[in-house]
Amino acid sequence: MSSSAPASKNAASRFPAWLWLSILTMILWGAWGIQSKLIMETMTPLANQIVFVVGLVPPVSWCLLARPRRAATLSRERRSGSVYAFLTGILGAVGNIAFFVALATGGPASIVVPLTSLFPLVTVVLAAAWLRERVGRAQIAGVGFALVAIVLLSL
Amino acid sequence: MGTWVGLSCVALALWGITGVTQKLSTNKISSLHSFVWFSGAFVLVAAVLLAFVPLGGQLSVTTIALAALGGLLNGGGALSSFAAFERGGRASIVIPLVSLYPLVTIGGAWLYLHERVTAVQAAGIACALVAVILLSREPAPQETAR
Repeated sequence: MSSSAPASKNAASRFPAWLWLSILTMILWGAWGIQSKLIMETMTPLANQIVFVVGLVPPVSWCLLARPRRAATLSRERRSGSVYAFLTGILGAVGNIAFFVALATGGPASIVVPLTSLFPLVTVVLAAAWLRERVGRAQIAGVGFALVAIVLLSL
Repeated sequence: MGTWVGLSCVALALWGITGVTQKLSTNKISSLHSFVWFSGAFVLVAAVLLAFVPLGGQLSVTTIALAALGGLLNGGGALSSFAAFERGGRASIVIPLVSLYPLVTIGGAWLYLHERVTAVQAAGIACALVAVILLSREPAPQETAR
């Protein structure tokens, strides 16, 4: 008992919770690619986007229960943050529809998912142009690799 | 080049813009709060679609459950990524690691959907994985690439 406690503590420091959670995220989003391709055999992309919302109920409920109570009035800062989040949702939902239609019109999941996963390319370029964020050398190399990947995946 | 390539690029562009709007949002409100508003927009889009797309009674419970699973996988992934950051995960490790999610899809597509890729496509996938890891690297404070 006394020897297993330090061993488990050591294992926890080697495999911290955030690492497991990151791997879980990777698996969930990766599985979503497979699920999306499979569902396209029985459902149209638009119908799928409608029913997709049902699956958001558990995570949203968890958020509503977990987040601290806020004042009824929204400050200007919070209102603007909420508007951006809502805009993110609209763009995300329309992006989802394009993704589903790509899969429904013959795009293989093993190509469509890596291709669409390159979205940080647009984020990095826009963040530099719009938010005036600095772009590192690694990111510039990433833009180059992303452009090559898009060409190769579309052949 | 199939239509699906163009549509994939549309998704890529729209999701890319969300990277910026999400950052603008989480600069002002918490990730969880942001996720609630994000999901609210999904409900609005679904309501608009529902006015034009008849779901009808032809869908079985299994089909509906499988479609809803998509939202659960996607939303659950978002929550677990927030939790990874809350538990002390550094963005320089968490984001590149999470960005490897296409590997899971490729493995699953090979196993369950029996999809096969050409050598050129495999090279494209490798480039894409390298690209997402590099793109997710925040520049060092002293780095002045531009």
